[in-house]
Amino acid sequence: MVFNSVTFLIFIALFFPFYFATKGRLRTWICLIASYIFYGWWDWRFLSLILFSTVLDWWFGVWLTYKDAPEETRDRWQNGSPVLQFFGKITEAADRLHLSRKAILVSSMAMNLGFLGFFKYFNFFADNFAALVSSFGLTPSWTTLNIILPVGISFYTFQSMSYTIDVYRRQIAWEPSLLRFATFIALFPQLVAGPIVRAADFLFQMQDDKRFSWTNFNSGFGRVLWGFFKKVAVADSLAPFVDQVFDSPQSFGSLHLLIGVFFYSFQIYCDFSGYSDIAIGLARMMGYNFPENFRTPYFSKSFSEFWTRWHISLSSWLRDYLYIPLGGNRHGKWATYKNNMLTMLLGGLWHGANWAFVFWGFLHGLYLILQRAIAPVWRRFVRVIRLPKVADDVVAMATVYSLTLLAWIFFRSGSIGLAGGDSFATANQILVGIASLEGFGFEAVVNKFQVVKGVLLIGILLVVEVTNVRFRWNVWQVRNPVWRMAAFAGLLWLIAFFGTFGANAFIYFQF
Amino acid sequence: MKHALWFFSFSLFLFSGDRLAGYFLQKQIEKSQFRYSRLYSGEAGADILLLGNSRGLTFYQPYIEEITGKKTCNLSYNGLPMDGAKALTLDYLDRYPAPQKMILDITMCDRENDELLAGFLTYSGKSNHLDTLINNKLPKVWWGGRVSALFRYNNEIFQRALFHRNKTDKDWLLDRAIAPQLAAEVRSNSYDLEIHPYLIAQLKEIVAVARVKGVAVELVISPYFPDFQVKNLDSLKNAVEQATGLTVRDYRSALSDPADFGDFMHANKKGSLKYIDLLKRDGVIP
Repeated sequence: MVFNSVTFLIFIALFFPFYFATKGRLRTWICLIASYIFYGWWDWRFLSLILFSTVLDWWFGVWLTYKDAPEETRDRWQNGSPVLQFFGKITEAADRLHLSRKAILVSSMAMNLGFLGFFKYFNFFADNFAALVSSFGLTPSWTTLNIILPVGISFYTFQSMSYTIDVYRRQIAWEPSLLRFATFIALFPQLVAGPIVRAADFLFQMQDDKRFSWTNFNSGFGRVLWGFFKKVAVADSLAPFVDQVFDSPQSFGSLHLLIGVFFYSFQIYCDFSGYSDIAIGLARMMGYNFPENFRTPYFSKSFSEFWTRWHISLSSWLRDYLYIPLGGNRHGKWATYKNNMLTMLLGGLWHGANWAFVFWGFLHGLYLILQRAIAPVWRRFVRVIRLPKVADDVVAMATVYSLTLLAWIFFRSGSIGLAGGDSFATANQILVGIASLEGFGFEAVVNKFQVVKGVLLIGILLVVEVTNVRFRWNVWQVRNPVWRMAAFAGLLWLIAFFGTFGANAFIYFQF
Repeated sequence: MKHALWFFSFSLFLFSGDRLAGYFLQKQIEKSQFRYSRLYSGEAGADILLLGNSRGLTFYQPYIEEITGKKTCNLSYNGLPMDGAKALTLDYLDRYPAPQKMILDITMCDRENDELLAGFLTYSGKSNHLDTLINNKLPKVWWGGRVSALFRYNNEIFQRALFHRNKTDKDWLLDRAIAPQLAAEVRSNSYDLEIHPYLIAQLKEIVAVARVKGVAVELVISPYFPDFQVKNLDSLKNAVEQATGLTVRDYRSALSDPADFGDFMHANKKGSLKYIDLLKRDGVIP
């Protein structure tokens, strides 16, 4: 069930009345059942995995807390629900193994990463291992499995891991209610493509019932409409042009290819941030606050800033659970470079089992390293030539955006689902095609109408998002009913006039 | 109460704005020089009616009119399927005196193209044939056009109509030269034509109606790039000849100079002029 479908609209229309008509545990059950219906609509077989993973991680949280305070925890489960009592007995039995807290955490991570590794990376590693063995002249008999990738596994696995890691670090208290924990993991707005919501940011919000509020509803609905505009009107309008370019780059001239890459940067931004907007908006309508996931990333003046503006929930997850535990920037220049590179390589691999994604991660790691190395030199140069701040900012933004575009070429090539070699071949054809400057005139561009439409939509997007930093349009529409009417109607008219209604899947669903 | 009032006002504002915008856009396309705007505003009367997909754009009107001295109307469009062509043909024959000749490229029988048909929602208010076709094939799109006037103009056909508001489209042609490196790869490329009995049946109906109206019909296969392999083309040709009883004029290999093509499937302007000369020589064009 995708957000941009009639089925989802019907689902939401049924969900909200039940949600606000109930409270307490009943409301939580409604959220959980609705979320499982939403998730199971993709493939009911996926439910067993998320259920298993949820129950196990919740239990690891119970066990970790028991290790710290056995008496207190035992009291809690003895006075708790039958489910808690049952798992309490299992905890007591398991604790006879005398595993340390660290060993329990490692078990949880091994399970989570094991599932993720199997479903997402088994064939990738199998193929590469077979290729490596073949290079030594051996002929391995190796079968790759027909494994279906469960939708959203990368997202909910990281979300679940954040809970056990934070409980281990004693940064949050354990969640005694399996029902609440399962709902936190499965809540449908963010289940399939994020934002990756941390337990520390969300579980406390579930402690009390959210009463219906017009402020929340209007604020959330406005956000949902904006997300739909970005996905249905902007991203899906740019998609056909981008698909042509990446399907047969040799057929097009230099400018056509460059426009295709430029359009892709906005297609992926609008597709992904549009989904996040819808997720954040739906949560707001329910009374919850999800963290922001994007903040006008293409206006970043450095790569470290870019990663505080793009897919913020993933980059902050990697920072807190990978980069900092590796040592961050605390152990000298070379250790920092190594940690940057490792974090970005794994960030690339998170997106998918393809060397093109790993290379994309490598490029961003390289950018972060070069930025650290070159920044002092650049600062001195800027002072010497007395470059005005505006010019410095423009040069910085242009540099970051251009290098991001370069990396997106590999990312998109990897998304085609081709083997590593084919992905690099596609990326190479595009880069060579752009650099050749053959067919650099607008007359050589095919489908000029798509270009005009795309540029117009990107223009509307940028005007709204840039001015929103100053004017906070979503706050205006909540406070002013006339402005709200104009904003909602305007967005609906734009969606009707520009939208693509083929229920196209969101790009990040494949991750 | 105030929320109910707000919701009522909002609904009224949304609906009125949509209808007003739709009315404004409708007025723009009525004044357009685009082929379908002219078709439905009575300005498309011709002696020779031309129909095809993007390969039909090689029926380059200014040159045909120059060498024949006759008026032409080319209703070709990129990806136009035969059922769309049938609706347009019937609309033409309903509104204008029968043309002397009708020339159709049979490769419109290749594929159905619902996305393009949805674009004809822009003109469905002027055409029962288009309206019925869209309603039957794409009911969700049809209802979308009923719910929102703006939605009817959410397509490339409207954008072209706007582009041609003050500019003729008679010289619309894919005019570019094929890249040498692409030309060199011709043997490693091919195109699989699909045979759709439904679309062939549409062509058969066009031919039948044209005969009743006394229109001479010519069926053609426009040129492909030299040595470019098009699978199933002979099967399509045979199926069409069997269904219509007409001989298909096969010009697939009529042009041997790579410089006459923009890509493997489309002749450019230079190639189109040569092709039209061949059509004139063979009496396809009067």
